[in-house]
Amino acid sequence: MSEHSPTRTPILEATRVDRDFGTVSVLEEVSLTIDSDAVTALIGPNGSGKTTLLRVLAGLLEPTDGTVEFHGAGSVRQIGYLPQQPAFRPGFTVLETLRFYSSLVGETEADALDRLRLVGLEDATERPVEALSGGMTRLVGIAQATIGDPPVVVLDEPGSGLDPGMRRHVFEVATELAADGTAVILSSHDLELVERTADDVVVIEDGQVLETGEPAMLRDRLSVDSLRDVYEVATAGEAGTVRVQGVSP
Amino acid sequence: MAGESTSSESAGVDTAERTDGAMAHERPNASRTFRTIVGRELRTVARTRTVFLLGLALTAIVLGITWVGGGYQAGYLPTTVDLLTPLELLVPIVAVAFGYRAILDDERRGELDVLATYPVSPREIVLGVYAGRAIGLAVAIAIPLAVVAAAIALTGDTTVGVYATHEGADSPILFGRFVVLTLLFALVVLAVAIAISSVVSGARGALALSVVALVVLLVGLDLALVYGLAEGLIGDADLLNALAVSPLSAYRGLVLETTVVVAGGTGPQVASPIASLIGLAVWGLGSLAVAVWGVGR
Repeated sequence: MSEHSPTRTPILEATRVDRDFGTVSVLEEVSLTIDSDAVTALIGPNGSGKTTLLRVLAGLLEPTDGTVEFHGAGSVRQIGYLPQQPAFRPGFTVLETLRFYSSLVGETEADALDRLRLVGLEDATERPVEALSGGMTRLVGIAQATIGDPPVVVLDEPGSGLDPGMRRHVFEVATELAADGTAVILSSHDLELVERTADDVVVIEDGQVLETGEPAMLRDRLSVDSLRDVYEVATAGEAGTVRVQGVSP
Repeated sequence: MAGESTSSESAGVDTAERTDGAMAHERPNASRTFRTIVGRELRTVARTRTVFLLGLALTAIVLGITWVGGGYQAGYLPTTVDLLTPLELLVPIVAVAFGYRAILDDERRGELDVLATYPVSPREIVLGVYAGRAIGLAVAIAIPLAVVAAAIALTGDTTVGVYATHEGADSPILFGRFVVLTLLFALVVLAVAIAISSVVSGARGALALSVVALVVLLVGLDLALVYGLAEGLIGDADLLNALAVSPLSAYRGLVLETTVVVAGGTGPQVASPIASLIGLAVWGLGSLAVAVWGVGR
C-alpha cells in the first residue's frame, strides 16, 4: 500500500491486483493508493509492467484478480488517458481532433483551444495531425487527456520523444494539474525530472511494486542520495538487458 | 476475487464512494454524441481520396453498362435487369471498401482506448461509425444510379424494346425501388464489413476476412443453397424462404419480385419479399451486434 500523505485525499485504490496475459503474469499483487492533487510517478525497467498497471488503473484492462476502486467525485469523465504511442485519425487538423473529443464531454472549441495553449500548441491548431512530429503528437495527446477535467489523468511516458525543454514543460503541466486537485499518474524514465516533480514514486519491477513513497522518503529509506540511486538499488535489472516476464530468471 | 472490478460509466474502474461534487461539464445527450461521431465519419469519408475514386469508377461502370445494354433508349426496367447482376458484385466490393477498416484503424491507433475513457458506449461508437459510413456509401451508390435514371428520362424512347409485351409497365418508380433495394443491400454488407473491422486486430487480417466474407456472401451461400436443394435438404416448398438466408439472394429476389415480376404481372414467384427483408435485417442487425461486442471486449 502506498504511503500517502495524510493531507491528501486518496482517489484511486488498487488492491492486490494481478493481471495475466495467457500464462504470463504481468502484474502480481499490486496494491497502490493514488492521491488527488499529487503527481505519482511509476518508474521501473522496460517490461516491468508500468504500462499494464497504468492501463489497469485507467480502467482499460480488467484485473485478472484484485480490485481498482475510484473514490472521486462525480465527473463527466473520470479518467483521462495518454497512450504510450498516441496517434490520431489522419485527415483532421489538431483543433478538429481536440474539438471532436471536447464535444464528447460537452466542451466547446474555446475549451479545446485552452487545452492546446496548456501544452504550448496554440500555433499548431490548423496543422493536420499526420504532419505533426512525434513530440507534438504526444503534446496533443496530453491536451486530449485533460479534456473534461477528469479527476485522474494517466500519462504513459508523457516525456518520451520530447526535447528537454518540452519534457520539462510537460512535467510542469502535470504539476499544475495536480495543484488544481487532479491526481496525475505518469510513467517515465527521466528520473531527474521525476525526482523534481513527483509527489509520490512507485518503483516497479517484474510486475511487483518494490518501493513506494515520496522521493525524499525513498532516499532516506535506502540511504542513497538520488532517485537514480533508489532505482538502481531497488531494481535488479542489469543495464543493457530487458527482463522479460515469464522468461527471465 | 477475479472480476470484482466492474465497469463504470466510462472506464472499468469501480466507483466506490462518489461524493456529490459539482460537475465542471455535463455529459452531452446521446443524440449529440451520435451526431459528433457521425460527423467525424462523414468528414473522414469526404476527405478520403479512395472514396472519390470508388465513386467515379462505380459511376463509369454503371453508365457504361447502361450504354452498352442500350438502356438509355430501352427504359428503366431493361436497365434494372442489365445492372442487377453487375451490382450484385460491385455493391458488396464498394461496401466492404467503405467499412472494413472503419473501426480497426481507430483500434490500431489506440483511439478506441482513448474513447473508452469518455462517456461513450461501444454501441454509440458502432452506430455512429456505421451511420457516417452508411451515408457516404449511400451517396456513392445513389449518385451513379440517379445519373442513369436522369439519362433515361432525358433520352429514353417511348417504346420499351426488351419487354415489348409489357409496354407501358416501365416506370421510374420501378427503377426507384431498384435503387432503394440496392442501397439496402449495400447497407447490410457495410454492417458485415464493420463487424469484421471490429473483431480483427490487423489490416492484413481485415483484408483476408473481408475477402472471405465477400466469397461467402457472393458465392458461398448461393452454392450452399444449391447444394441443399440438390441433396434434398431444402424442399421445393422451402426454397423461396431459404433464399433469404443469403443477403445476395435476398436482394436479387426482392429486386425481381418488386420490379420485373410486377411489370410482368404474371409468372412464378421468385422470392418471398417478407422473408428476404427479414433475412437482410438479421444480417444487418446481427453484424452490428457483433461489432458492438467487438468494440466492447
